Amino acid sequence: MKFKGYRRPDGTVGIRNKILIIAVDECCDGIARNIAKKFEDVVVLTNWYTCMLGGNEETLNQMIANGKNPNVAGALVISMGCGSIDPSQIADEIKKTGRSVDTLTSQEVGGTRKSIEIGIAKIQAMKEQIDKIEKEEFPISELVIGIKCGGTDTSSGIASNPSVGAAVDQLVDMGCTCIGGELFELQGCEESLIKRTDSEEIKNKINTLIENERIRWSVEGTDVETMSVGNSVGGVTTIEEKSFGALHKFGTKEIVDVLQINKDFIDVPSKPGFYLSEATMLCGGSGVNFSSFGAHMILWTTGAAGFNNAITPVIRISGNSDHINDDIDIDATGIMEGTEAISEVAERIVKKVQEVASGLETQVEGIGDSTLTLYQKDQRLEKLLNLNCVR
Amino acid sequence: MSRFIVMDPMDMVATNLKVSSKGEIAQVFSSENEKLCEIEVLEDIPFGNKIAIVDIKKGEKVIKYGGVIGESTKDIKAGELVHVHNVKSLVVDIPLAFKKEILKQMNIKHEIEV
Repeated sequence: MKFKGYRRPDGTVGIRNKILIIAVDECCDGIARNIAKKFEDVVVLTNWYTCMLGGNEETLNQMIANGKNPNVAGALVISMGCGSIDPSQIADEIKKTGRSVDTLTSQEVGGTRKSIEIGIAKIQAMKEQIDKIEKEEFPISELVIGIKCGGTDTSSGIASNPSVGAAVDQLVDMGCTCIGGELFELQGCEESLIKRTDSEEIKNKINTLIENERIRWSVEGTDVETMSVGNSVGGVTTIEEKSFGALHKFGTKEIVDVLQINKDFIDVPSKPGFYLSEATMLCGGSGVNFSSFGAHMILWTTGAAGFNNAITPVIRISGNSDHINDDIDIDATGIMEGTEAISEVAERIVKKVQEVASGLETQVEGIGDSTLTLYQKDQRLEKLLNLNCVR
Repeated sequence: MSRFIVMDPMDMVATNLKVSSKGEIAQVFSSENEKLCEIEVLEDIPFGNKIAIVDIKKGEKVIKYGGVIGESTKDIKAGELVHVHNVKSLVVDIPLAFKKEILKQMNIKHEIEV
């Protein structure tokens, strides 16, 4: 199976030709958006947290990693000029991949209006180069696919997750890379996961990182929600039930590794196969996490509505007939009715992956993009809870 | 016709693929679509929710997908709704305020046992 994509100078292959504007502080978000709205395929990633660097390295790492995503052809890094993050800290790293990269500091060019004007000219120049890149044919094994669920209800565990799991097995057999995440939502599943690797090192990594998520999200005396009210209204009673249902979407193949994302580094897949990762269970943030790992697209199972990531398109699969509308890419309700087999829905998912890789837009691509949320772990909490990555 | 699915032979609960009202007879199927049993529905069970297919004692581990999904917080009769009011997580439980909100949104009148 093949698809048509864009060759990048670093050897990766993109399925979209996006230009990313990275706003390194929240104050220049308006400038970034006013530049972006003049163009198609120009996407804004804003650091909403702060203009500080210390304590926000995980965010900085993700801004760099998103600039290197295969779907990104070029990047413009913007700052206001009064914060701690210098655009070159991000731009220089992205430049190493051979992509077109430019920077803009509002304070240096004479304010907001000038910045917008200059930014538009910079993107225009970049776009002229990028639009010349011709599509070429590539084997499907080039693809990196994030696997995520959200808006989970009972149909997810019965229909959409098992059919995505069957599709993941097929895609891995074809040489693709698939990345699961949401380690918090694997509570109680450790035993079946560690059977999927012979490596003691990976077994330990799986156990440690799942336990870290449990500790992180269950600080006694805090009423932090870890499952949405909507999940339970849809019939899910406990996190263990949600986890067992969610596990189905990860198929049955060997677990190559668990990709970590933190203040010191972001892992990328080293070879094809199935990976777990620290991509968060929170949908918007997970999109940016998957994009940081180099994913081209995301398969997203749901019982409800959903999100799209403007860098890595999201294919939505649902088995809940109450929520099937023209936002859903794959209707899996036949499994609930007993009229379609899981394997048949899986075939349709694999076909859709190939079509979306070749340029077919997903149902809400370009019209319903979510904010590119830069989710990060709070370093103070990590320290207090004594949580560490696995080296 | 009511239609419930059991995901694993070990399971103590079945999931409702339709909407069922008190007094109906639940038709319970395996995930391979074989009919397993019939149970009288003792209270309304919304779509996607679970019915007990065996009597479950307070403090017992509740099995779905062949694994432990939590512990019962009161005796549950076969035919009753199994949800946040009578089962709690053994890992990270839902805070009480959110359990109340869940039942309110579902229009379920049960008291929550924790």
